[in-house]
Amino acid sequence: MDALWVVIPAFNEAQVIADVVAGVRARYSNVIVVDDCSRDETGTNALRAGAVVLRHPLNLGQGAALETGIRYALSRGAEYIVTFDADGQHRVADIAVLLDRQHETGTDVVVGSRFLGAAHGMPPLRRIVLKLAVAFMRLTSGVPMSDAHNGFRLFTRRAAERIRIRQNRMAHASEIIEQIGSLGLSISEAPVTIVYTEYSLRKGQRLGNAVNIIWEMLLARLHK
Amino acid sequence: MIIQWVLSLGLVLCLFYAFMQRGKSKLVSFAIAATSIAGIYFVLFPEETNELAKWMGVGRGADLVFYCWIVISLIVSVNLQFKILNLQEMTTELTRELALRAPREPQNNA
Repeated sequence: MDALWVVIPAFNEAQVIADVVAGVRARYSNVIVVDDCSRDETGTNALRAGAVVLRHPLNLGQGAALETGIRYALSRGAEYIVTFDADGQHRVADIAVLLDRQHETGTDVVVGSRFLGAAHGMPPLRRIVLKLAVAFMRLTSGVPMSDAHNGFRLFTRRAAERIRIRQNRMAHASEIIEQIGSLGLSISEAPVTIVYTEYSLRKGQRLGNAVNIIWEMLLARLHK
Repeated sequence: MIIQWVLSLGLVLCLFYAFMQRGKSKLVSFAIAATSIAGIYFVLFPEETNELAKWMGVGRGADLVFYCWIVISLIVSVNLQFKILNLQEMTTELTRELALRAPREPQNNA
């Protein structure tokens, strides 16, 4: 599907990025990897696997990498943009689930939910923190979600053109939901499967980051 | 006393800095100037802080100065955070522009 672009932000993912890109490319031809100034061969491996590679000359964070990839996809005429993690947690088959959901509902954004689908190997503490994050997001944004911090999303062109990710690091997930609420965009959820591996758990964000995220969101609100 | 001269000199320098900053931000310039003038006054007449503290319901003048210092430090800290955020936004845009100008395309883009 030429109108669909998959954006993969990546930082030091040389070990797995080629498999992830090849897996996506088996079904979707347009894959962008935003190499966020990796110190390893992430960019080269992604390029060899068939992705368009954009390299940040400075490490900015996942939120900034997503924004760069989304802007590039828009410039190439994307009608649908899917954000996909580089660590192999997401299943390529679920992209079709997000797309079907968008076609069924006509919503501007479809967010994958591991709590409507499945999360294999998720540590219990992470489950508790994610549930708390869901309750917090519901309180601050007013958008009812079952999974607030899932990096697996589908944006229509209309939504991608309006949402502007300014949170460079991990607070971008909350910021996106807040913007969906404040811009009056429609949102739906689709069940997806997240597979936690030893690698993805090691690479994933630390639970203590929750405090940083709240601080960054508070600062951003004051800074508006 | 020597300490009064040293502190007064420091606060006069702050006042001078506030004057120099008036073109950039009138609010910040005014806040620095007002704080410096109040500081000079209380350095020269320290017993006045006790009177003011009593009037405000704080035990001692030293406590009042300490509380004010905490509040001012917090305001300065948040202001610095905002400046850092502005710089970060500029750095981000510059970095992004460089990335977008040089996409690497795969050889066999099937």
